[in-house]
Formats: sequence, structure tokens, C-alpha cells
Amino acid sequence: MQNYLFFVAKRAVQLLAVIFFGVSAAFLITHLSPINPVEQAINRITGRSNFSPEAVADMRAALTALYGIEEPLWSKFINFWRRIVVLDLGPSLIAFPTPATTLVMRALPWTVGLLATAVVFTWLIGNILGGLAGYYQNNRVLKGVGIVAMGLQPIPYYIVAFILLIVFGFVWPVLPISGGFAMNVRPGWNWPFIGSVLSHAILPALSLVLVGLGTWFLGMRALVSNIISEDYVTYAELAGVNKRTIVASYVIRNAAVPQLTALAMTLGAIFSGTVITEEVFSYPGLGSLLIAAVNAGDYALVLAVATVAITAVAGAIFIVDLLHPILDPRITVE
Amino acid sequence: MRNWKAFLASAGVAAALLGTPVLAQDEPAAPPLQDIPRDQTLILQNPEGTIRNPGWFNIWVPAGGGWTTGLHQLSMDTFWYIDPNEGIDGVTYNSLATGPAIYNDDYTEMTVELRPGVYWSDGVEFTAHDVVFTVEKQAETPGMNWSGVFSQQVESVEAVDDYTVHFTLKAPNSRFDSVFKVRWNAAWIMPKHIFEDVEDVLSFDNNPPVGLGPYTLHSYDPNGSWYIWEKREDWDRTAMAEYGEPAPQYVIYRDGGPTDRRLIEMRNGNLDMIHDLTPEGMFSIVQQDETARGWFDGFPYAHPDPTLPSVIFNHQNEKFQDRNVRWALALMLDGRAMSMASYRGAATMSAIAIPPTGTHPTDYHIPMNEWLTEFELDTGTSVIRPYDPDLTLGIADMVRPQYGDAVPSDPAEIRAAFGQGWWRQDIDAATELLTNAGFTRRGNNWIMPNGEPFAFSLMIPGDGVINRLGTMVAQNWTQAGVNVDVVVASDHADQRNAGNYDSYIWWSVETWGGHPDLSYFLDSWHSQYVADPGEIQPARNWQRWQHPELDRIIEEVRVTGFDDPRNLELGLDFVRLMVEEMPIIPVMSYNVFAVMSERYWTGYPSANNPYANPVNNWSNSRYILTQLERAGN
Repeated sequence: MQNYLFFVAKRAVQLLAVIFFGVSAAFLITHLSPINPVEQAINRITGRSNFSPEAVADMRAALTALYGIEEPLWSKFINFWRRIVVLDLGPSLIAFPTPATTLVMRALPWTVGLLATAVVFTWLIGNILGGLAGYYQNNRVLKGVGIVAMGLQPIPYYIVAFILLIVFGFVWPVLPISGGFAMNVRPGWNWPFIGSVLSHAILPALSLVLVGLGTWFLGMRALVSNIISEDYVTYAELAGVNKRTIVASYVIRNAAVPQLTALAMTLGAIFSGTVITEEVFSYPGLGSLLIAAVNAGDYALVLAVATVAITAVAGAIFIVDLLHPILDPRITVE
Repeated sequence: MRNWKAFLASAGVAAALLGTPVLAQDEPAAPPLQDIPRDQTLILQNPEGTIRNPGWFNIWVPAGGGWTTGLHQLSMDTFWYIDPNEGIDGVTYNSLATGPAIYNDDYTEMTVELRPGVYWSDGVEFTAHDVVFTVEKQAETPGMNWSGVFSQQVESVEAVDDYTVHFTLKAPNSRFDSVFKVRWNAAWIMPKHIFEDVEDVLSFDNNPPVGLGPYTLHSYDPNGSWYIWEKREDWDRTAMAEYGEPAPQYVIYRDGGPTDRRLIEMRNGNLDMIHDLTPEGMFSIVQQDETARGWFDGFPYAHPDPTLPSVIFNHQNEKFQDRNVRWALALMLDGRAMSMASYRGAATMSAIAIPPTGTHPTDYHIPMNEWLTEFELDTGTSVIRPYDPDLTLGIADMVRPQYGDAVPSDPAEIRAAFGQGWWRQDIDAATELLTNAGFTRRGNNWIMPNGEPFAFSLMIPGDGVINRLGTMVAQNWTQAGVNVDVVVASDHADQRNAGNYDSYIWWSVETWGGHPDLSYFLDSWHSQYVADPGEIQPARNWQRWQHPELDRIIEEVRVTGFDDPRNLELGLDFVRLMVEEMPIIPVMSYNVFAVMSERYWTGYPSANNPYANPVNNWSNSRYILTQLERAGN
């Protein structure tokens, strides 16, 4: 137990180091952007209006002072970390003076809700079917599933998304094709809203599941195909162990360890959102927020999203690291 | 096995729980649980897309709130509106003002008589004190949208009485009224009784907004994809009532998403007005939905915006100093090919530096046709007449086999839709012009007088019709022996402002559309505003061109009244100067494929009834609501 606690402490230090260097790198990269947030704001405000050149110059000076973009980089870097320590990511520039955290927290639940659900379901279905297909290699149904999974996996995501949009929005218009919920329902714990959220999530979730399924299915099938030739599986079969027990406890369980690692990393990565899903279905989330921030040169908001994503991925890897010695008896902590 | 069942169950529960955080979101913007009657509702696409700070309705502070969510169309108001087309009762609408601005002789003072009996949506009467507050508050608060406008130009403002406001300006300005004259937008009047108690106006969200327009905010999506507005019970106490009662009880502005989804939503009855489509999307929707139509009944369907996509040369680049070179580059271009490449033929061409839209064809294009036809260009070797008055008839002939009867056959209709004419592609004349400028040929390539190859870049945006146009321009030049490097720049606006380009496809000419006055863009073209190389150029003289005759025209416009007939003469002088010098190559209007569905509403503006601009993110599109009628579905 003492060894394990030491292992946890070591990994925790590594976690903090990864977050520090990752976020610092994100800070430097975002500040290298050639897009000037002040000019972007001026273009938005004056682009279709009648502003005299003197008025525009006045606005440029005011916004430059407000956004604080002329502060030296090192000073910005120190202030940035000072704020992060108290979980303050600073004001967004496209929504100045609204805190970037407010924008991120508004989008985050939708990203987590859609992507995490889709990833977990995809992982479960893909791995179960892949595991069964790897063990019962002559089963016609599972062979068929394999062909479908192999067929879907290489199709670009945006093609699948648009096909679903056209099929269920145009040819057979039975599902909502945009937004997170309908316009005439009240957000909260009520059935009309919950039903509306679920119905609006069907197409974006289905697009993610269809495209993601193949990867998990094929990966698990390949893993199981190797494991079934292991000695302990052969001995179990010779010993007359129930087939279901062999599949569940001997084969899929062992094959699931690397898949669990991949799941954790995938779950961590969802915190940067899915841009195409959000754009195609106008689904709220972090991906389109990130794109809007990049295009507007809002490095504060880009950094806020990047910080959340980096922390989530690093956190997921940390948890997997901690779980590995517990889940996999072959791994020992010294 | 039991472990696996437990694992599966817990994973399922986890997945379900992961989906619930959306339920825990704030409810301040929650709409009531009631149906919005579809037959009383107009649904429009908001081209701003998803609003990043959806609860921000302080339109005087740039904080990520939406503008074209209905906020500036339905809730705001100011002195005047000017229509890009012909208007319901003339192009100028007196909104909060009862008549035009009254200037003193040297344009240093402006008086405006205000409309009595206009009330804010919370029941407080609008008075001159709101105007004074609007000007003074923004002038004293840097960072507000019109702070610079007022602090730079207004010496003082006073309410003479409740319905008269008087401005004293810091310098003579015959166009100061245009600050309050809506083209796309203008300086909106602030409700003094709301803002005067706000300590920090820069962080005040103004939610819900109190406005002077005929609608109030009903509800909005906390994620920023839709906004619902409801007609005020006292809509007749707003300035817009002068032009009739707006028909829809509810108006919804929503994020339309990509082109495909906009088409689907309109076909499914979930969208009445689409702001813009691709040309292909337009051609598709009129086939898929018999209730959908564009500005023109047939091809090219689109509404020409009062903006003028052009080839813009950076005049601080020595390669473009010689008029012969600029004219040579113009004559290398194939007008038909540019029309087909950019708009699939649905372009409205313009050889002159005025957008072919609104009342401009009557004021400028048709009167200039004869001069253009007679215009002679000395190439140094020969004298040519470069203008082809029938070029657009040829474009109509090119698209007719595909679109049949949708393409007009009457020459006058063709010219109205496709433009009056354009420059004839003339490679021989271009060759003579470049030779006259001291250029030589080496193989197929042109060599400049200094011995270097004639090579430069052409900056274009990442997508859309301007991108397609740029590709064809580059192809034409390359085929003629000019080494052109196309630069696709997502930050083209920044590069343009900084002068970091050789040539560029965009527009530096934008007009009122419905009025011959050119001051909207022309004043900023004066040489006093041309920035030094490396410095940021203020809008809109992106080409950084200066010319004594141009300054003479601008200076005379500055002391000529808005409606003075001399203004049009000065505009024609400008057009002739631009043809002679060719500092930019005007190509076409920016055609907007606005689509209107007659499933639930009829009475939209059209080329046959051009009472308004159908492009619904313009705030003067609000007058459309007074002309709509329920279709009965």
C-alpha cells in the first residue's frame, strides 16, 4: 500500500507538471496568433457602418487599452497563472468583459452530455460486439456486423453527418436537425425539456456512434483474436468452463484493459469539442466556441478552452495510470 | 459474470448521467411553455449564427451579443432610415425625426425635430433628453461603439425642448446626419431612464432590452441559436407605425446553419426568410420548394447588394503606379468567365465604380452607358473603345440552355438583372499597354522595365463567391503572361487593413443604394486618410489611392447638401475619373441569394416591387413586416 501511495504521489507531481507545461505552451502559441483581436472587433463594429476614420482611430485606442493587449508577454504570462490558481481564466475578448469561464461553462455541459454519452455507448457496443465477433468467428450475424463496421469506419465523419441530416431531415423528416432543444420548452427538470434534449441529440449522437463504432469493434476483435489462442483460454475450454464465462471473464475482460485506457483518453479529449458535429447540427458546445474564438483572435477564450481540455486529458491519463495496477494483476507497483 | 453486469449497468447509468448537466443550466432566459402559433410567426435566418454571449443586449457596447438577432431590426430606432432600394414611400424614412436635418450655413450646427408620441417599450415617453444622453454618455465613455463618433465630432448637444435636439459640431460636416441614418445600422438611441442609473455601462447587459421598436424580446436560447420577439400591444406608439402595423405577432431569428440545412428547414416550413445561400443552393431551393422565391422571379434570383466586389490594387506597391499597367490588367479579364466562375452566371456586372443596385442604374449606369461606349483608350499603339455594352446579353445566352425560361429574354430585363455591360477582354490591347509602359515579353511571361518578372500576389478570402472570382481573375492573368500567386487568407481583413497585399478581391465601394450621394464611402477616400506603408489604413480606401481630382470631388461633396442635384454631378465626375485611372477594377455587385418562402407569408419585396432590401440582417428590413400578409396556411 505504501508503494502504491508513493506511486500516486509521483504521478500527481507528473500531472501538475504536464498541466503547467501544456497550458504554458498553449499560452505561448495563442499569443503568436497574427490575428489582432482589436482589429477583429473594429471590423465587426464598423464593417457595415458609417464611421469616420477619426472615430475608428479613437475606437482602436479605447479597445487596445480595455483589452490590455499591449502589456508585455511576460507580464501577461505571470498574470495568467496568478488568475488560473484561483480558477479565473480572465475576460473573453469577443464578449468583453464577460469572463471566459462563463462562456466555457455554458458550452461545457452540452459537450460533455453529447460526447461522453456517445463515446461511452460507442465504446460499450463496439467492444461487446467486437469481443463476441473475435471469439465466435464463424457467427454469420457477427460477420455481418464486422462488414458494416469496416464499411462505416473509413467514411469521413462529415459525410455521415450530412447523410443523416438529409435522410432524417429532408427525405423522411422525423427528427429535429438543429439546436440543443426546441424553442417552445422551458429548460429544467421537466419531461418536455428532457424529451426535447434527447430528441435533438439523436442525430448528432447517432453520427458519432456510427463513425466511432468501427474503431472499437475492429480493435476489440483483433485483441480477442489473439487472446483466444492463449494457453489459459485453451485450458479453460479443455476444463469444460462455461463458454459465456470464458468469453466474459477470460477473454473480453483481459482484452478490455487496453481499450479502457483508450476510453479514458478519448473521454479526456472530448473537452475540446467536436467542431463538425456542432456546425452541422448547430449543436451547442466547446468546439464551435473554440473556432469562434480562434477566428476572432480571442486568445483568452482559446486559452480557457485549451486549459480545460489539457487538464481533462492529463486528468484522464492520471486516473488510468492509477487504475492500471488495480485492474491488471500483471502490473505491479514498486 | 455478476461483475460484468454491474459494470455494464453502472456504465449505462454513467452515460445517462453524463447527459444531464444540460438540465442544470441557468433558466433566466427560459421561454414559457407555450406554443408559438406558426401562422402568426415569421422565422428568419440570422447570419450571425450562434451568439457567443446570448444574454447581452447592450448594443452600444461590443461584448459578443448579437446585433441581427432582431435586436437592431425590431427593438432599436434612430432618426432616419434610408432604403437601399426604393422604399415604401421614398427612400428616406423619417423615423424618430419628423423631417430632414436642419444645418446652419457652414454645417457646424445641426437641429433635428423629433416625433412626439413615441414611447419606449416600458411605457416611458421618448424625448430629446434620450438623444442628449446617448451622445454625451458615449462621448464620455471610451469603449462604447459610437464613443469616437461623438467625442471626435460633437462639441455639445442640447435638448431645446422635449422634441427638438441641437448639435454643435467641432468642425463643418454636411453629412453628420448620416451618423443617425440607418443604412445597415446607425447610432441607436439609448433609453436614458434605464442607463442613467447604471454605474458601469461597459459591463451592463441590458437584459431584457427596453426599446423603441414595435417588438419586445419574448425569449431566447441560452445557447444563442434563436431569439423570439413579440409584437408590442402598443406598437402604434412607435415610429414604425407611421408605415403600418407589422403583420407577424411573433418574429424569430435563428441560426440557419450550413446551406444544406437552411434549404431543408425552409422546405420543412421552419424558415420563412433565408439571408443568403450559395448560387447552387438558390437554384436548388426554387426547384425543391414551390413556395420559395428570390428577388428576381427568375434567373439570377439574387438581390444585388450596394457593395462592389472589385480587383483592388495596393497603390503603395510600385508595380501598380502606371495607369497603363492597371488598364492592361483590366483588359486581360474575361467578364463572362468571371460571372460564370463566381456566381454560375448569376452576377450583376458593373464596369463603373458604383454598385448596380437600388436607384444607381437609373442615376449612374444607364446615363453613363453612352459615355462608356464612346470612351476611348490610347494604348500607345492604337486607340480602342474597350467597353462592350452587350457583354451581359452574352452571359444570359450562356445560361439560358440550362435555366430555360427562368432567364429573361428582353434586353432591358437582362441588363437590369445581369448588369449593363463590361470591358471586352482584349489581350492585344493589354499587350500594347504593357509595351507602352516599358514592359517586354520573355517567352509567355511579362518582364517589368527594371528587368524583373511581372509577378505579384492576389489575396482572396477562404471561400464563397469572392474566392471563386479571385481564382478566375488569377487564371486570366496567368494565361496572359502575368505571374500571379493566389494567397488564400483567412485573416484577409487584417492583411488588407495593414496593407500587406499586392492585389486583392474585395470591395472598397459601398453606397446607400437608394440615393446617389456617395459620401458613405467616398469621404474616407480623401488623401488626408491615406496611411503610410506599414500603418493601418482606415476604412474604406483599401487601395490607398490618392489623386488631386479625387480630393477635389470629395471636398466639394463635403459642402454640398445631401439632396442637392450637384451631388449627382459630382458622383458622375467620380465615375469618369475612376474609368480614366482604373485604380481598382470594378467587377460586379455582391449578389445576395436571399430566399423568401410564401408558405405562411406573402408580400415580400421583389425586383418588381422593390420597396425594401430583402436581406434581413439589414435593420431597414424591418419595414418588410408592415407589408406582409398571412398566406392562410
